[in-house]
Amino acid sequence: MGQLVVNGLALGSIYALVALGLLLIFNTVQIVNFAQGQLLMLGAFIGITGAATHDLPVAVAWAVTMLAMALIGLVFMVLVYFPLRGRPPFLVILTTIAMGIVLENLALIIWGPLPVSLPSPVHGAPLRFFGVVISMHQLFIFGTLAVILLLQFLMLNKTRFGILMQATAQDLHTARLVGIPVNRTIAVAFAFGAMLSGIAGLLVAPIFLAEPTMGGSLGLKGFVVSVIGGFGNLPGAVIGGLFLGLIETFGARYISSNFRDAYAFIVMIAVLVAWPRGLFGEKSSEKV
Amino acid sequence: MSERPIIAARGVTRRFGGLLALDSIDLDIPRGIVQAIIGPNGSGKTTLLNALSGASHADAGSIRIDGTEVFGLRPHRIARLGLARTFQTIRIFTNLSVLENVEVAAACNRPGSLFDVVMATARQRSGEAEIERSAREALEIVGLGGRAGDRAAQLPYAQQRLLEIARALAAKPDVLLLDEPAAGMNMTESMTLLDTIAKLKARGLTILLVEHNVRLVMGISDRVAVLDFGRKIAEGTPVEVQRNPHVIEAYLGRRHRHA
Amino acid sequence: MNNRIPLALGAIAVLAIPLTTHDGYIIQLLNIAILNAIVVLGLNFATGWTGQINFGQAAFYGLGAYTTAIATKAGVPWIATPFLSVVIVTAASLVLGLPTLRLRTYYLAMTTIGFGEIIRLIIVHWEPVTGGTSGLRAIPGISVFGLAPQGQIQHYYLLIAVLALAVLVAVRIRHSSLGRAMIATKDSEIAAEQSGVDTTRIKLLAFMIGAIYAGLAGCLYASSIRFISPDSFSGTQAVLLMTMLIVGGMGSIAGCIIGAVALTILPEALRFMGQWYLVLYGLGVIAVIVMAPGGLASVASMIRMRQASPR
Repeated sequence: MGQLVVNGLALGSIYALVALGLLLIFNTVQIVNFAQGQLLMLGAFIGITGAATHDLPVAVAWAVTMLAMALIGLVFMVLVYFPLRGRPPFLVILTTIAMGIVLENLALIIWGPLPVSLPSPVHGAPLRFFGVVISMHQLFIFGTLAVILLLQFLMLNKTRFGILMQATAQDLHTARLVGIPVNRTIAVAFAFGAMLSGIAGLLVAPIFLAEPTMGGSLGLKGFVVSVIGGFGNLPGAVIGGLFLGLIETFGARYISSNFRDAYAFIVMIAVLVAWPRGLFGEKSSEKV
Repeated sequence: MSERPIIAARGVTRRFGGLLALDSIDLDIPRGIVQAIIGPNGSGKTTLLNALSGASHADAGSIRIDGTEVFGLRPHRIARLGLARTFQTIRIFTNLSVLENVEVAAACNRPGSLFDVVMATARQRSGEAEIERSAREALEIVGLGGRAGDRAAQLPYAQQRLLEIARALAAKPDVLLLDEPAAGMNMTESMTLLDTIAKLKARGLTILLVEHNVRLVMGISDRVAVLDFGRKIAEGTPVEVQRNPHVIEAYLGRRHRHA
Repeated sequence: MNNRIPLALGAIAVLAIPLTTHDGYIIQLLNIAILNAIVVLGLNFATGWTGQINFGQAAFYGLGAYTTAIATKAGVPWIATPFLSVVIVTAASLVLGLPTLRLRTYYLAMTTIGFGEIIRLIIVHWEPVTGGTSGLRAIPGISVFGLAPQGQIQHYYLLIAVLALAVLVAVRIRHSSLGRAMIATKDSEIAAEQSGVDTTRIKLLAFMIGAIYAGLAGCLYASSIRFISPDSFSGTQAVLLMTMLIVGGMGSIAGCIIGAVALTILPEALRFMGQWYLVLYGLGVIAVIVMAPGGLASVASMIRMRQASPR
């Protein structure tokens, strides 16, 4: 059972990363990016292309991927955010979904439908504690999550730019009026948001094999995590992610592995039924 | 011969976090008058209206409309009991025509059955005819009869406000709540509005008027209640209230309020 | 009424289409387009008029289809299947609708997506009953007291008749207090409530009616195409249905039909493009949303307005 916990937490950490990318964008521009999963997929494939096709050392492949993802995030911003500013959220949802379809099919064209694997950047014998096996890769996942959380915390709270980002997130219009370079903070949000998902993709591929259609369900789980943890709430997303990872792993083992993907939705629906505004309240509702 | 007040509010209280927006308000509104509620910004006028109409429930208190307790009821139930309102920021149905906007409210007490609609029964057709007649009548009262077929979004601002009033009228209310109906209107438009209100009063409606513009209100109201910081600080005829030192103080304020 | 003439001409054109081609494949494609149009008309009630995002419409479509397929293959006479489908989807719409009444925008979208996924997973994994990913074939066709349409062309006329009925009901609803209440709920829920509209009931009703449209379309799909698989009712399908609604023109009855027909025929016409088709589809949808959010129907009315008042 301890093994399930470890596996669940590792999986959950990846979900948490997807959610963090999602929330970074949402907190800044109030858009829920339904293509976040496809960004994860792109990260995985770019990494694979670098490492496998061009024989780059894995570390370099990682660096190249993160850079590429940042660029993709900016392109995303230009194609999706700017044209749709001020439009009703429903249309934004459709647009990001459409982007997801575009990215998925571009990936199918470029890389084909067959699953591919990516080696982990770390090697070595797995650790063993009390009958529980922790692979190096799983350790790497935990480590990466911890590092990212730390960096994110430091950046948002201790750097000047990070504080500007928080201001933009709280009130975009006032931030602009006050002279904050709002467009720059938005660009950073999209770039980093895409990068976070890309990193998640690089972490997932060694476990589960990458294929172009992988984005859909992983993206949805990112949303579920955001809902459980409370939209906008970053620590909540991490806790929610780990929680979901555990539920899924235990559910697949003890209930049925066929409905693995369904557990996420069931949990989310259960949460929303009890707290229709999400655990921490949602921003969109008609004021009287 | 004491007639039951059409609205009887007791101890209505509303908190927003730490802020006490309404502090145990008591208010009796006799039938058939124009009752004004005035007060500086943030004094709780709209919050009170929201509590009365059910749009945003109070935390405590009793609200009776013609004797029936309505505290906690959903707004559509309160509407069907005879209370209609307009809004501070215009909320017309932009995707409907002017006539259809009013027809929504005209159907107020007649939810209608799906079967009748789908089968286009005679009952449905006569019901629709009645709704249309009722809606056109309401539009005539506010002077918008000629624009029934236009898209509601195309009306100029002042006429949109009148549309809201027509819509509220079509619900055949006993009480009409008007939330800053003159906001954004020029002199001529405001005068038209006052005439309309007088017409409505003549038809037997009780009108509760929240207005920020004090001078505008004094001419038409029978009674005035003044709110400040969520409390009722004065009540009486317009003349009495105008002379009340507490009221003057609240508006000019030793306690300076950021306006 | 100058509406009548173009309407009559259109009706004649529609009825004459099967005479222009003997390609059964094209007729079948049109039949699918007609069925999609019915589903999109259903979607319009909840999403177009009442403003409730619903990515679960494909699931209702699928429930109707699978209910019918399973029942007829088990020997149930066809005449019972529309009723069965309606019962199943009505129950499902309540299961989805009741908990989601208080949800908004993003959460509503996610929940309806989740619902659709759960239904799809059930269909895929309940192999003995649903045939799993391979689907069900050799589904018995429509048969009412011994009368059965033969061949795609007869099905075409039958489906056109059903579509006409669906449109008629939708028009009647639109011009009733029910339809107005739906649109009012979307435009301003508070004002609708204050005008006496029970918005909760309206949302639920819109949802249910939409599900019934989809369920009946699914029933007809199974019985006329005679083969179903989970792919036809997946999450991607739900998105495609939504795009048909938007491209056609949300809230417009004619727009639903235009959008459904256009976006059913397009993939086939562009089949030679292979995978690129979906890439262009996605980009096309984004373009439409950015440039003409009112869809094709609004473009049509914009053209009409320009013609009416030349400057």
